Amino acid sequence: MTRHETQGFTLDDTGRRIVVDPVTRIEGYMRVEVNVDENNVIRNAVSTGTLWRGLEVILKGRDPRDAWAFTQRICGVCTGTHALASVRAVENALGITIPDNANIIRNLMQLCLQVHDHLVHFYHLHALDWVDVVSALDADPRTTSELAQSLSDWPLSSPGYFRDIQNRLKAFVASGQLGLFTNGYWGNPAYRLPADANLMAVAHYLEALDFQKEIVKIHTVFGGKNPHPNWLVGGVPCAINLDGVGAVGAVNMERLNLVKSIIERTIEFVDKVYIPDLTAIAGFYRDWQYGGGISSQCLLAYGDIPVRANDYGPDSLLMPHGAIINGDLSTVHDVDLSDPEQIQEFVSHSWYTYPDETRGLHPWDGLTEPDFQLGPNTKGTRTKIEQIDENAKYSWIKSPRWRGHPMEVGPLARFVIGHVRGNPEFKEPVDRLLRTLDLPLEAIFSTLGRTAARGLEASWAAHKMAWFFDRLISNLKAGDTATANTERWDPATWPDDVKGYGFTEAPRGALGHWIHIRDRKIENYQAVVPTTWNGSPRDPQGQIGPFEAALMNTPLAKADEPLEILRTLHSFDPCLACSSHVLSPDGQEMATVTVR
Amino acid sequence: MNETFYDVLRRQGITRRSFMKFCSLMAASMGLGAGAVPKIAHALETKPRTPVLWIHGLECTCCTESFIRSAHPLAKDVLLSMLSLDYDDTLMAAAGHQAESILDTIREKYKGNYILAVEGNPPLGEEGMYAIQGGRPFVDKLRECAADAKHIIAWGSCASWGCVQAARPNPTQATPVHKVITDRPVIKVPGCPPIAEVMTAVITYMLTFDRAPELDRMGRPKMFYSQRIHDKCYRRPHFDAGQYVEAWDDEGARKGYCLYKMGCKGPTTYNACSTTRWNEGVSFPIQSGHGCLGCSEHDFWDQGSFYNRVANLSQFGVEANADTIGMTIAAGVGAGIAAHAAVSAVVRYRGKTGIDVPEHGE
Amino acid sequence: MATIDDFEIARRSRMVKALYIYRPMNRLWHWVNAATILVLMITGFFMGRPFPSVEGDTSVLYVMGWLRYIHFVAGWILLVGFVLRVYLALSGNRYARELFLPDVLSREWWKGLFTELAWYMFLIKEPPKYAGHNPLAQFLMFCFFVVGLLVMLLTGFALFSEAVGQGSWADHLFGWVIELFGGNSLAVHAWHRLGMWCLIFIILAHIYTAVREDIMSRQSMVSTMISGWRMFKD
Repeated sequence: MTRHETQGFTLDDTGRRIVVDPVTRIEGYMRVEVNVDENNVIRNAVSTGTLWRGLEVILKGRDPRDAWAFTQRICGVCTGTHALASVRAVENALGITIPDNANIIRNLMQLCLQVHDHLVHFYHLHALDWVDVVSALDADPRTTSELAQSLSDWPLSSPGYFRDIQNRLKAFVASGQLGLFTNGYWGNPAYRLPADANLMAVAHYLEALDFQKEIVKIHTVFGGKNPHPNWLVGGVPCAINLDGVGAVGAVNMERLNLVKSIIERTIEFVDKVYIPDLTAIAGFYRDWQYGGGISSQCLLAYGDIPVRANDYGPDSLLMPHGAIINGDLSTVHDVDLSDPEQIQEFVSHSWYTYPDETRGLHPWDGLTEPDFQLGPNTKGTRTKIEQIDENAKYSWIKSPRWRGHPMEVGPLARFVIGHVRGNPEFKEPVDRLLRTLDLPLEAIFSTLGRTAARGLEASWAAHKMAWFFDRLISNLKAGDTATANTERWDPATWPDDVKGYGFTEAPRGALGHWIHIRDRKIENYQAVVPTTWNGSPRDPQGQIGPFEAALMNTPLAKADEPLEILRTLHSFDPCLACSSHVLSPDGQEMATVTVR
Repeated sequence: MNETFYDVLRRQGITRRSFMKFCSLMAASMGLGAGAVPKIAHALETKPRTPVLWIHGLECTCCTESFIRSAHPLAKDVLLSMLSLDYDDTLMAAAGHQAESILDTIREKYKGNYILAVEGNPPLGEEGMYAIQGGRPFVDKLRECAADAKHIIAWGSCASWGCVQAARPNPTQATPVHKVITDRPVIKVPGCPPIAEVMTAVITYMLTFDRAPELDRMGRPKMFYSQRIHDKCYRRPHFDAGQYVEAWDDEGARKGYCLYKMGCKGPTTYNACSTTRWNEGVSFPIQSGHGCLGCSEHDFWDQGSFYNRVANLSQFGVEANADTIGMTIAAGVGAGIAAHAAVSAVVRYRGKTGIDVPEHGE
Repeated sequence: MATIDDFEIARRSRMVKALYIYRPMNRLWHWVNAATILVLMITGFFMGRPFPSVEGDTSVLYVMGWLRYIHFVAGWILLVGFVLRVYLALSGNRYARELFLPDVLSREWWKGLFTELAWYMFLIKEPPKYAGHNPLAQFLMFCFFVVGLLVMLLTGFALFSEAVGQGSWADHLFGWVIELFGGNSLAVHAWHRLGMWCLIFIILAHIYTAVREDIMSRQSMVSTMISGWRMFKD
């Protein structure tokens, strides 16, 4: 293959090949290879998930009530979201309902994760793609202060404050030990922020690092720790005791006050620091309109944050639900996770094997046998790969498709679907931001659009936490303190053979778990996670996944510095430990496949 | 280049007074007396920042996430002032070969003087290619980085014991660090993840006193892992009294009774959760109503359901604990004895009517 | 006894023979052991599966505390008893020793073992007589009471060492046992409990065979362990 047309892109692998491995500032392992033409424009992109842990094989035969703890360890960055999908899948299979308070507390925990994850992503995983740390040394703290004060009334904005930060940064750089900033792409022409904005962003990088540890204390109150708080099939483990004997051993007024104060501070930080920074940075990059990929064509969201406990229908879900295909923004299709025709996974380009690799399999029928083999055009050796052969199998990630289409998931998908559905909570913030930046709606289909949607969602989630907190208080006022339903806690009460699914909107996008319980044990478990959708390799039709599509046609300022590649990949917030999953449904031992 | 920790702090505008305050806080947090303060101060004044290479194998990044939750010291201060985190895939600016070249630089320039921190573990199956970085198996990178390190820290239960990907049937042959690096001590800081302040305390202890912390038999720092969660659990009086949560959200749960019957693994788990607690001391699992999973213990995934009090014995199948095995066999033995007694009675009755046989004597 | 005439058989059947087998210390050990094991089993069982919760103030309630306390005291008695019993084996008569050192090198011993098995499988009508334990009994006693108690003592004191604390004498003496089980003492708990169940089966079998032998083999069993004298009834 030298030239190949798909989804409106022309793939051409004749130009110079650039390899980025490891891709850093993501969760897990990832490798990207691109071909650039003589103008350093990307004409072919190959993304490879380079790790596999086999968690679903490990789940087989275990107690379904334990599954949340295992699946939670799929990812420690979006911690809790897999646990939520898992308890929902088990409850769906066994017909367990949860009390309203449990639903509210779960929503608070999930929204808390959304805010935390988006904040850490923006400042600590993504900002260095937009912000030149070294340039901040040249800033004038007074003009930086003026810039900051023009954006918001956040109190930490005096010239003296920024001078202190700058002095600390100067000392750090002068020490010669640059730590995390060693070998960054400082001075690359693709950085467009003026020095003042860079200094402000560095200050907020550090502030956000301090503040993010506060947000997660909501997890700690209800789940006991973070990362990896505790969950429970049938509700939440924390009991509520407002004014009875032993209230100090449960969720009481002091705990509620702590949660409330965190929510208030979170709203303040997001609205006074995160959103203004985002707007400012976007303003400087408003004409860098690359990285849209398939976001203007195919988008998917399952929806999340049920208002009513145990109702996962579209009317109850506050986060948008639906699928957009073929760029038809006038129609949003309903998504059914139990329909075998809708969600299917393919492995023609993944290091797994199916009996018939031209066909996809629904998660309930999923099959995963590892099959590590490299294509004939691979350069290097089996344990020292220099160049991947994308015409053969080339990733530990499978290729999920919705009715045959590669789909982009994540905050951008949610906002576009919400916008198309006319949901004011998702439409108005987008329109407002676009007005501020003086950009048309189409501008949202870009790297920057993804990053902006994430910030807007963080703000939405922070405010929603306050809304759910009030709901919790009104329940408590009405005397409802139940947090768990234990009617079907005892496995003896379970049916012999049942299937279920659970879903959520993880920070990175639509997440689904499918479970099959037989004889009170897990017979089969499958998770299709956001980065499997976004990072999927090619399918039998040669369609490329969202990562690969998003890199297409992006010009690189300097071919040997992959700044723009990182920028676009990071806009998806990849999570590779999540994406490379596996399942062996019929109890086969995992065989090591020898490759000739 | 040979600027000390103290020099850097001074240049960063931190006064001598706040520096000494920091030293005494650090001494207190490590349970050291006031006498140690000048020692800490001296150590920090005379040493350059130690480079740390933080590499990731099969893991979920919860250890890195936990590390940045540290409140004392703040992650910000650790990264800017206490050490030089020159490589960490999750947080570093560089990528690709610019990132990989840092490893070579540090190994060469600071040979024998850097700390290697490992999060996650190497899979040994499929020639290590279940975890590929830079086109090569992670295990190669681990071996290379370990060769010239001054100390090796195994962050979390993955690096220490194997954790979730090593749970049965361990499809990738995920292997803890000390089984790959066998020629030198590995400081294990288990937990899934470890507590943030435990992580920062272990590493600042090493920087301050220029030595590895004292380790227990299993290779864990004694300062945080020498007692069980149970030993210092605030619900312990309810355990001794015999007051337990019998079902989720029952009266006992609301009164904060002991979670022993809900499968709490606090009595067999060595960690600092019940004292240091999580996220700046806000809570820990038992305080928030769920039993301890035992996440800092070896093979904690393979001891049966987290909600069982009596652990499963894997040797007898998936769902067999001592009581199920015991009761099954007890029923068998009981039935056997009854049957044997019945047959004996019949034989004895017949024997009375039959002919006596000569005795064998002794 | 090459030739025995009918008269001799008749004469012997009228006789009751007796042998002094178990000295007082052995008998004391047996019954103290029996009582201790019973206490350990009851307390141990309920330590793993506690009673329903009790209401009241923790300053006066100490249900689990007492269970554990009694269990530990009984454990100490068992340990002391075990050590004394080893001493008795070294200093006492052959019957005091046979439990610890079954004569596995002797052909006769093996022959006796199979004969005894045959007796329990109803293949022969009359069991051979033994003054002490028969080879099968010796074998089972060795496997379960000697090895079994040793395992229970080691795992038990290893778990006890956790309560005493790292760096304590108990940790130095018994801590290695936990490491032997991979380092997670939950596994040691599980095996310790399985050990209890094994002892229950053996005790059941032990009591059953003793009573049965009393009735069927015409040699005293139960009373022997009380008086020390084994009575041969024919």
